[in-house]
Amino acid sequence: MRTLVRRMVVENWQISSSVFDLDEQGYGTVVYQIEANYGTFSYVLFSHYLDPENRNDRVIADQWDLTMALCEGTVDTEQLDFLRNNVPKQEAGRVDSRVLVLSRANRSARTFEYVVNELANGHQPNVDVIAEVGYLYRTTAAYGSGKLGMADWEKVRTKHRDFARPFAAEMFTCYMLRHFSMQQADYLAAQRAPNSAVFLHEDIKRYIGIGNSTGLGMAPFLINHPLLINQWIEMRETALATVVAASESGVDEATLARLDVATQRVIQHLGEIVTADERQNNANLLLREELQLLHLWLEEQGAVLASNQYVWSSLTQYAEQHWHIETQEVINTLLIELYPELVDGFEEQMGVEESHQITPEMPVADLIEIIEDKYEWALAIDFSKHESMGVFWYRSQEKMEPRLGQTNIDMGMEKEMSLAVGRLVRECYDQIDSYNQARGQQNVAHFIMQNPAYSGIVARIQTMAQSHYGDIRENLVHADVLPIHLLRCKLSFFGVSKFDPRSRLWVRNTMFQGAPLISDFGKPLVDDWQFPIKPVLASR
Amino acid sequence: MKVSKNELMASLKKAFEGLGFQPGDYHNAADMVVWLETHGFDGFSRLEAALDYLNTTAPIHADLVQEDAHNSVLDGKGTSILLCGSEAIDLIRTHVTPGFSAGLELINCYNRTFIIQQLVKAAQRNYAFVAYWRQLDYCVKVSITEGAELPEYETFTVTEVLEPQSLRVFCGADLEIIKRQYAGHLEFGTLIETYSTSEMLACYQASVEHGIEIDEALWQTLDDLVARILVESTESSRAGAGD
Repeated sequence: MRTLVRRMVVENWQISSSVFDLDEQGYGTVVYQIEANYGTFSYVLFSHYLDPENRNDRVIADQWDLTMALCEGTVDTEQLDFLRNNVPKQEAGRVDSRVLVLSRANRSARTFEYVVNELANGHQPNVDVIAEVGYLYRTTAAYGSGKLGMADWEKVRTKHRDFARPFAAEMFTCYMLRHFSMQQADYLAAQRAPNSAVFLHEDIKRYIGIGNSTGLGMAPFLINHPLLINQWIEMRETALATVVAASESGVDEATLARLDVATQRVIQHLGEIVTADERQNNANLLLREELQLLHLWLEEQGAVLASNQYVWSSLTQYAEQHWHIETQEVINTLLIELYPELVDGFEEQMGVEESHQITPEMPVADLIEIIEDKYEWALAIDFSKHESMGVFWYRSQEKMEPRLGQTNIDMGMEKEMSLAVGRLVRECYDQIDSYNQARGQQNVAHFIMQNPAYSGIVARIQTMAQSHYGDIRENLVHADVLPIHLLRCKLSFFGVSKFDPRSRLWVRNTMFQGAPLISDFGKPLVDDWQFPIKPVLASR
Repeated sequence: MKVSKNELMASLKKAFEGLGFQPGDYHNAADMVVWLETHGFDGFSRLEAALDYLNTTAPIHADLVQEDAHNSVLDGKGTSILLCGSEAIDLIRTHVTPGFSAGLELINCYNRTFIIQQLVKAAQRNYAFVAYWRQLDYCVKVSITEGAELPEYETFTVTEVLEPQSLRVFCGADLEIIKRQYAGHLEFGTLIETYSTSEMLACYQASVEHGIEIDEALWQTLDDLVARILVESTESSRAGAGD
């Protein structure tokens, strides 16, 4: 999200509505034309009446308040009619390769009407009410990469430089939804009370983000794209190593002061998160307490720390030894944020081709060594225990939604998705070990000839052995597996915040809260919104 | 109707899974179909022909029936290249040693044109290949240099008595070594036709820009196969992804 926003602001993308055809209820069609740095795009949005009883964030929903499409070029009347006939249907419709992203969104029952009514009554909404939710709409899916007939990622990557980074077009779609949500609120307030309505204050607008509901469907992507995930984490680790190295000769006091300010901002941000999930609340509380210790440390030791060699290395090591994992990762993030000039370039290296290939010449003994070395975590799992295979992943007939079933209780075990990497590695290891003892001196090609069922997992093992991070080192079919951790990992790379787990299977979060508005494009970039906090209005 | 490469790949993988293919196999098979279709080799009509067979039997893999230091023979037992093509190419690669090429004959197999994608894929690992087989009354020859992204595709008149359902593949560090060491196996009749790399590239670029045209009946067939791996939805199963 922040990579995209930096570009839009610095490159001064021009965004205007070429069609704004809404009725007095806010239903109708809007088309925004986007003049980006390298090309022209259209964001087409359809606003529909939705019975509140049918408002559902699940993949299995078939009606939404808003449906949207991001298209290349401009959209003529014929294409608009085509989109009107298909975009509102989402998975039940078809689009074509001129469409880059398809998305939908639902209104927040808690904030949308409240904000419109307040504006219509001539005053700004209470920031505390906004803070509890953080958005007016939440998106429930943003499909790209060729789904439903859309342009392939290869086309986006090679033809549209403005969106040539993984998920950039999908993030832009959410950003435009945020823009529309506030424009629609202003529009409806003016419709209801033309004489008394006021526009949303710009500081409140910046504080309004877009909600997002992410469910189990994201988990298979994460598991099936280990090279991409490896690349993302490797870039983050490289960025962290770069900033740690930058503190070789100490750091200046201004940098320490910026870290302290950022730390206090995160503490405030965490305090403003509202979630009913006890586990998340406890994690947030603990994180705040430990960051408070960091704040005190910086306050008391700042002058001394400035001259310490590799002070960031000392800090991260201390955090690893004394504080929880979430605190460690927030500190890593804060350190990376201190040096945009050193790390921003890594955002151009986030893409990679996901190709798992067998190395057939490899001696079987070498493959055994690799498994013992790289997949020791998988070999340590005792799969004879019932809880170690307590769940299974499957695709439902209903929109092919990925679901978790309980082993020996739910139907569909025989159609299990191949996502239990740890168990597959274990089975492969046992097979290849007995093959090696029987045959010896053979290579992988011969093993596969005899055991073709293992070619997929062998390709994965051999490919991933050349990387450090892509495999999720957990038993993904354990009875107590927490898929929301997987979702959070991927969502974190998008830059979302305010995780609000709704169960162990899906999580709500907030996107673009605090981000610059379209009216900020072309102005000096303020890039400190990664941990958004409530605005203090300059004037009411 | 038009589909994207990515959704075609996703659909094919699930459809092959519905036919009983294992993970490695359904990835490979989907790759082969998509590559042929997007490069102008009638991947869909060849897939339809393959489905006639694959729908009637459980997946069968080739057996290694003969092997020495540089040469091997596989018996496909009537199966499709979609199931045994990658194994054949993996195997022949292991028979290449410094200065020496390798030869492999795959007998009793079908849908041999799909092997082209496997040759292209392995060429990225710096292997060169020549492959040929008899198709009706002509001979198809495919060759690719090490590191190349597209092959040369030519058809010739038949001069050699070839088993109707066999495929010969030669692999080495470069094409010259292969031609020198297997000259006796690489004599072809009169050139009939070539399909140029520029035509393949143009076909591929059009598919990226505009999508891939697929017959709705075939798309429905794939959907029907995909349905085999889906689990019936019930009220209780809905809880398996939500509240």
